[in-house]
Amino acid sequence: MSNTNTQKADATEQPPSQAKPQVLEEDDEFEDFPVEGIDQPLKCFPRATKLILQQPDWPQEEAEQTAGSTANGGSEHLWEESWDDDDAAEDFSKQLQEELKKVEASA
Amino acid sequence: MGSLATAFKDAYLNGSGPELAAVLTPIAPAEDRNRLRSFYQFSNAEYISKDLSYALFHGKSLKLPKAEQNAWVDIFVVYWEAIGEILQCEDRLPGASVVTVFNAWKKVANTLIRGYSGSAGIPAWTLPCLYTVGKYLRTFAINADLEAASQGSAGFGFQDDIAADVEKNANLEEAARVINRMFTLCLSDRAPLEESRKWGIYNMTNLLFKTYFKINSVGLTKNLLRAIKASSGDLPPPESFPKSHIVTFEYYVGVIHFLDENYTEAEEHLTWAWKSCHRDATKNRELILTYLIPCHLVTTHTLPSKKLLAPFPRLEKLFRPLSNCIRKGDLVGFDQAMSAGEEEFVKRRIYLPLERGRDIALRNLFRKVFLAGGFDEPKEGQSPVRRTRVHVNEFAAALRVGTSTSGRSRIDIDEVECLLSNLIYKGLMKGYIARDRGIIVLSKGGSAFPGTGV
Repeated sequence: MSNTNTQKADATEQPPSQAKPQVLEEDDEFEDFPVEGIDQPLKCFPRATKLILQQPDWPQEEAEQTAGSTANGGSEHLWEESWDDDDAAEDFSKQLQEELKKVEASA
Repeated sequence: MGSLATAFKDAYLNGSGPELAAVLTPIAPAEDRNRLRSFYQFSNAEYISKDLSYALFHGKSLKLPKAEQNAWVDIFVVYWEAIGEILQCEDRLPGASVVTVFNAWKKVANTLIRGYSGSAGIPAWTLPCLYTVGKYLRTFAINADLEAASQGSAGFGFQDDIAADVEKNANLEEAARVINRMFTLCLSDRAPLEESRKWGIYNMTNLLFKTYFKINSVGLTKNLLRAIKASSGDLPPPESFPKSHIVTFEYYVGVIHFLDENYTEAEEHLTWAWKSCHRDATKNRELILTYLIPCHLVTTHTLPSKKLLAPFPRLEKLFRPLSNCIRKGDLVGFDQAMSAGEEEFVKRRIYLPLERGRDIALRNLFRKVFLAGGFDEPKEGQSPVRRTRVHVNEFAAALRVGTSTSGRSRIDIDEVECLLSNLIYKGLMKGYIARDRGIIVLSKGGSAFPGTGV
């Protein structure tokens, strides 16, 4: 009984705080790019007389890429092979020998 | 009213779509906090239409055809009504409701659509208005659904779960239908390209993608892609669109392929988005990588470097433990990292491809066994050759390395053979199992573990 009362109280006290347009947290959504584009050559819309900031756009130099490298050269440092040769190969070899003895003993 | 009317006229005279769109937002600009309130207070329901035609079009500065003028007056009348509802919410007046705001804003959207499609012929350079109105329609719909859900649960206690589920996104689904009309409005425009609404197609598609993702109807995105493909001959080439439209589009297309487990295609689209994304858009770059990293793992078996993840601490935390275990061939650690990150992986819908990393970890472990095996006695005058006959016990032993002595299960040789044959089947290992002798005969000449140099 008291439970229902609290619930009702909550409901009336609850302000319409969700009303504000920006309240939503869209944390996993692709964001709009800020409208701070560059002056673009007129690609479309001849009736648009002054086409500053037509849409957010940017030259390729401002895009993600390792500076001064070609697309492929740049990506080499970013992705690594999934195998690794120099990671304590000696250690592993010893551990392997020990385990091998146990496996063979139990077999 | 004054400042809003001036902003409208300036934007129109400048021919600037974004400036015009900024007039039609439901949020007052930072430099003019009071704009919406003073706009709303300047008139009343009876006179708003007359007042608007006077404020927007009286005088000599802006001359528009009568039909176009009327279209804008109609739009701003419903905009005025919507602002009234928004202010009620902001003031937390009794009876204020986001659902009402959503419905009022939907009228703005529909009136705007009519302005474009009807005889008034609002010109295509004003398209950013369509995007802005659609964007807020979606935002209001999401908030309206939240409000409906909270009232439902507080007011009626228990609800029928199934009914609640259907109703959960009722407003957002309605928004999706309106935005879909905006999509069609852009795609089906027959005007010459220079003045075509086709220039808005990718922006509207992106908005619909986001909406369909939110209502968990990713399948519906296929219809949009089909429609775009069908009229691709009439569309300007993607590279003539602003990068902001195309990067977003490619990201979503990549994610759509990703969810279909088409990792090769997903990688293609995501790589493009990654390379063209603005370098300061950290959040977006992080999202692209969230899907690109699992793609790379599946398609090319490569891992993100420290340098790649340095600007993204969240991704570093998400992927680093897993990457280290894969590289080291640490299966126990891999399983631990998978279960530690499970919740986040599932939420981001990347669990499935990441799980495939276990094969790569296993390959790396068995590769280390092969390397530890050393070389056969070299024949005279020849360079030493790696020992390619490896006893199955050696692989079994490797699976026990690093596991704690207590509580580990005995490793069954059949199980080891099963793991080996799986790797061979998947092309991660080359060779065959000589079962009668209990050995694995691996391929000679640096191709036992293809692509890894040995």
